[in-house]
Amino acid sequence: MKRYSKQGLWSLFLMCAFPLHAWTIILAFRDFSWVTERTNSWDAIGVVSYGLIFAFIESVVVFLVAILLGFLISKIWSEDRRIALLSTLVLVTSLWAMGSYLYFMLQVSISGETIDFLISLAHPLRFLYAISLAAVSVTVALPTYLILRSEKVLQGMRGFFERLSLLTLFYLFFDVVGLVIVIVRNI
Amino acid sequence: MKTRITRRDFLKLAGLLPLSIAAPGLANSLPPGEQTGASQNVIIIVFDAFSAHNISLYEYGRETTPNLARLAERAVVYHNHYAGGNFTTPGTASLLTGTLPWTHRAFHHREKVEEPFVNKNIFSAFQGYHRTVYSHNPLVDVYFEQFKKGIEDWIPRNRLFLRNDIIVPTLFSRDEDIATVSWVRSIKNKEEGFSYSLFLSHLYELFQEEKIKDFKPQFPNGLPNIAGDNYYTLGDATDWLGENLRNFPQPFMGYFHFLPPHAPYATHKDFYGRFAHDGWKPERKPPDSLFSDANYKEEQDLKKRKNYDEFILYVDSEFKRLFEYLDASGLSENTWVVLTSDHGEMFERGITGHKTPVLYEPVIRIPLMIFEPGRKTRADVHLPTSAVDLLPTLLHVTGQKQADWTEGIVLPPFSDLNPDSGRNVYVLEAKKNKKYAPLSLATATLVKGQYKLMYFFGYDELGGEERIELYDLEGDPEEMNDLHVSKMETSQELLNELKIKLAEVNEPYQ
Repeated sequence: MKRYSKQGLWSLFLMCAFPLHAWTIILAFRDFSWVTERTNSWDAIGVVSYGLIFAFIESVVVFLVAILLGFLISKIWSEDRRIALLSTLVLVTSLWAMGSYLYFMLQVSISGETIDFLISLAHPLRFLYAISLAAVSVTVALPTYLILRSEKVLQGMRGFFERLSLLTLFYLFFDVVGLVIVIVRNI
Repeated sequence: MKTRITRRDFLKLAGLLPLSIAAPGLANSLPPGEQTGASQNVIIIVFDAFSAHNISLYEYGRETTPNLARLAERAVVYHNHYAGGNFTTPGTASLLTGTLPWTHRAFHHREKVEEPFVNKNIFSAFQGYHRTVYSHNPLVDVYFEQFKKGIEDWIPRNRLFLRNDIIVPTLFSRDEDIATVSWVRSIKNKEEGFSYSLFLSHLYELFQEEKIKDFKPQFPNGLPNIAGDNYYTLGDATDWLGENLRNFPQPFMGYFHFLPPHAPYATHKDFYGRFAHDGWKPERKPPDSLFSDANYKEEQDLKKRKNYDEFILYVDSEFKRLFEYLDASGLSENTWVVLTSDHGEMFERGITGHKTPVLYEPVIRIPLMIFEPGRKTRADVHLPTSAVDLLPTLLHVTGQKQADWTEGIVLPPFSDLNPDSGRNVYVLEAKKNKKYAPLSLATATLVKGQYKLMYFFGYDELGGEERIELYDLEGDPEEMNDLHVSKMETSQELLNELKIKLAEVNEPYQ
């Protein structure tokens, strides 16, 4: 028996593509003005286009990794539930990755009290790793538990993913436009 | 009827064989004084963003160039030498074509020069020479591509990188600049701490770090690089050049454009921290009223200047090493060596770097040293000179046919004519002006004798006004006192000359 249906895989791919594309689009448009200033707006469109194609490639890679992870999930649970779980894990991981970048983007500075506290510890680095691990574990374990155990949460997540999938289809359309632009620029 | 060679004829010819083998080498083994210009080699070394303002040979407050000072004892040193523009594109185009930006029209980022210069440039002018080129900077590759008909040996840029991304230049060779910008933003998160890629960028960085880990301890400020992770060391470039120069077919003409001391200012550990506690501070200058950075912080600027100055120490040391190669191989006896830059760098008035509309001295005054084959004495030239003078000068000293298109002159002391102390030297910054349109949004500078006029026009920030500044470079080399009002007559005279020149160069685009 097949572990995943075509429809299930497609849903999973869309959910892998969503955070990667959304992040790329936000950053690429953030760069749009300085690239335009540097040369012109056609070049800025070029930067966005290459970025989208790269996001598509990364989406495929993440999707393949997610499929492999999917083999670790027992078939006791329905396909719907497994797809929802994998999608949630991809989304949570992406949010953590974005968070680590936002730290630099927003130039967050750690308060003096926090630094003093860390210095006062015997192993500040180990403490930071432990805190990070705990935070990541909670944000992964909690949704996993809820999706696997609660029908209400599952339905809620499915509805949420369906809405995001529609948006992702637009992003994939932009990928095609980006590909055309890249081809035109390289002819 | 066939001509038959008898046994007797053959023996006669065989007697000449050793001479025919030795003949090509004899030309190069002649003492320097007995060689003709045409058999002498030429090497141009360009250090990118190397400001004369930060060079102790030119009286900078920190001793940044002890080796250049020693080497200057056998060179002609030009003290008031000006780039064609204030960034690589116009600066290099002026050097290579012998024309000013308003003529070659490469005043936008990565802009090509006008079509006629494809066959009118320093490479096409050195016919009969083996022409070899290399550049760390991709903006210079634009010209190598344009001038490639006149180049025998174009060394690929990645040859001297410690690691490189061959994917982008290979797959997107026709759109390399923007493909590279996007690649850097997509996958390289080291530069700013974030990238478009959320996951692959981390894997990529781990993979790339492994390749350069052995070099990192040598560069405490990080490895010198361009576009994030095209890492290089100037030491590598020096060794490569020093070891290969003797193998170039002679006579050769080599153009080598190395990035240091261009940002990021990542000096070698031997020079790191050399100026950290020297107590020296530059003259304090007020922020520019229109073009200073809103986030400018003096402390950061001083730190960047210190790093830049320490990077210059590295450049200075490597140039000395290059000269040791030249001396050891004997090439310094039959080779003209030129040290110069494409533009300067500034750390004052709330402006750091060279992406700016202003044309103050630090960003346009560049070094020029010409090492004549076999020369043992120093000569100093204080007259204002321009990057466009290099082409006619090198053609003159090597006995080549003079280029009739150049806007430069043969420099003293090599010229047969008396130096003209009233000569006009121009610099142009017109990044925002349309390429094929009259200059209406630009900064133009005229240096004449001791005076320098800076003329800003067309900028939104000016609100329809013009901005004019006049400095006496002899009495006020730091450009602290604007004499535009107090010396109105001089200012007006120079402004009129500049406007006449602008009208003349605008004529074809009206």
